[in-house]
Amino acid sequence: MSAFKRKRGGQAPGNKKAKKAKFVADTSEAPKENEQEKTHEITVPAPVSQGKWKNKERVLIFSSRGINYRTRHMMQDLRTMMPHSKADTKMDRKDKLFVVNEVCEIKNCNKCIFFEAKKKQDLYMWVANSPHGPSAKFLVQNIHTLAELKMTGNCLKGSRPLLSFDPKFDSEPHFAVLKELFTQTFSTPRYHPKSQPFVDHVFTFTINDDRIWFRNYQIMEEDAALVEIGPRFVLNLIKVFQGSFGGPTLFENPNFTSPNMHRRQIRLAAAARVREKQMVKELQKLKRAGTKEDVTIDVTADVFLTPADETPVLIQTEAPEPKVVKKNKHKAFKRQRMARK
Amino acid sequence: MIIDSSTMESEDEESLLGQESEDENSELSDSELQEAFAKGWLKPGMNVLVDKTKKHVNNVEGLKQCLAGFRKDLPWAERLDMTNLPAEDVIYKAEGKKPAVKIGDVNPDDDFQREMFFYRQAQATVLDALPLLSKHGIPTKRPDDYFAEMAKSDQQMQKIRKKLISKQLILQKSEKAKKLREQRKFGKKVQVEVIQKRHKEKRDMMTSVKKFQKGMTDKLDFLDGDQKKPREPSQAQNKVAKDNKKGPNAKRKYKDQRFGFGGKKKGKKWNTKESHNDVSGFRAKVANAKGAKKGAKGGKQNKRPGKSVRKKTKSRS
Repeated sequence: MSAFKRKRGGQAPGNKKAKKAKFVADTSEAPKENEQEKTHEITVPAPVSQGKWKNKERVLIFSSRGINYRTRHMMQDLRTMMPHSKADTKMDRKDKLFVVNEVCEIKNCNKCIFFEAKKKQDLYMWVANSPHGPSAKFLVQNIHTLAELKMTGNCLKGSRPLLSFDPKFDSEPHFAVLKELFTQTFSTPRYHPKSQPFVDHVFTFTINDDRIWFRNYQIMEEDAALVEIGPRFVLNLIKVFQGSFGGPTLFENPNFTSPNMHRRQIRLAAAARVREKQMVKELQKLKRAGTKEDVTIDVTADVFLTPADETPVLIQTEAPEPKVVKKNKHKAFKRQRMARK
Repeated sequence: MIIDSSTMESEDEESLLGQESEDENSELSDSELQEAFAKGWLKPGMNVLVDKTKKHVNNVEGLKQCLAGFRKDLPWAERLDMTNLPAEDVIYKAEGKKPAVKIGDVNPDDDFQREMFFYRQAQATVLDALPLLSKHGIPTKRPDDYFAEMAKSDQQMQKIRKKLISKQLILQKSEKAKKLREQRKFGKKVQVEVIQKRHKEKRDMMTSVKKFQKGMTDKLDFLDGDQKKPREPSQAQNKVAKDNKKGPNAKRKYKDQRFGFGGKKKGKKWNTKESHNDVSGFRAKVANAKGAKKGAKGGKQNKRPGKSVRKKTKSRS
């Protein structure tokens, strides 16, 4: 990267971004800063959070197999946005879901965002509080990633977000649970070692059309001029469970139709339309054929019949005489006649 | 399966239902029906299969308990969450329209409205949160010399900038092209007009020269060139007033006379006393014109000189 990315003024004691800690985040800075270190005297960097980091919230973000590129990029974007997240390899679909809890335990995470792809088309997202807490399953739609050129905003990597919720989240108990879950999952803990001290972007969760819309905006000006950073997606709540990745169902969304059902309905509707058209055609054919009647009796046949007078029936028993053919009576041919003259 | 028996009251309904139930009951085997009858489920009348309405779980108590169990009472500085309605719609206010958008009224299919709703919600959050943040000592403005890694790489931002610039360029180009097209049209018009004017001038010059040759005029004003007298605005006004006063065109008048009000009456005399005494066609100016202007209306501009004068001028030229 270019030189201007070097951090200047990083020696202040109040700045907890000691160079050692930043090694992980800015791998590109490492060689240059090592050179600097050599020239200056070696200072023992202060402990990362200076003991202030209390809220130990860690989120495990990973997916199952069979996700497509868009999902993968979105997952990576979420990991970028949330410095308190951890990544893991793809989980095999053969394993049962509660295996995820064990993975979380191994990674020492207490929240989990798990992406599950079915049929290479539908994406489901689980947001869970790992050991005992509630979990929720969503259907994800309308994914747009950070890399889209229409998302023109940018923010510090690892800066803490403001969270903005719709007042509808306070109206229903299941939404209240979701709000708490989102707050704990998405908010970066204060003094987290990988976080930046500035607040320069805001996550929005809005409820509209029975779905939760997620947006991420950068705060450009103090007068609240915003630009969208991305990613953005829409969550359709399916169920809320009491346990993590299992347990009794606390809430089921009555308006949710699974994508399979949805596709099936569309297909049935199309089929029904075709059948209707065929039926209509057949009916029309019948109508046309039906109106044609075979006319056997002509009703108008005896309109012009006038009763004639009775005549005696003459039956000839003998054959009539042959007609005398009056042939030419010895008439000579014309030439001969002319010759005679 | 649930079997519901209806009474014999509405017979039409039953006949309809009966058709359906016939199909459905035919799916049930006889043995099943016998069993159901034995148990006393089947009653006299029509029996119709009814779908059990699916119950959706909504364990409010459970939800509340769960929430109470796992919520963490963290100070606001840790959570940084706000719940608020969208900010005032400035554009709507400016236009004077009443913002009809409340929560739940946003049409999810209207992309622009929906996105503006989200945007304003974020705006309201930011506006409410900024004083709180400053109170807790959380900075929002980055100092100018604070450089750190951004969520999007520089390359990405360059791409975005290029895209925006290219969009702007395209827009500018299209605008330029439009303007050029307009100019060309206009330019063509102007060119045509200029050419026509030139032709006209040439024609006029030739006619005036010919007239002079033939002896119709004895003035050589046309040789002075295009010396347009500066028209005063009052003169222009006068001209306009005069035109208005003279009323309709001579052509219009002629046509009116011939075809207007039922047309010409047949068999009317032509050369009568009245027509002879009628001096409305007399224009004193034209008759007594000595050096009339070129543009003057009515009558011949230059009277044809006499035979002797013509001969003289003819021989001279």
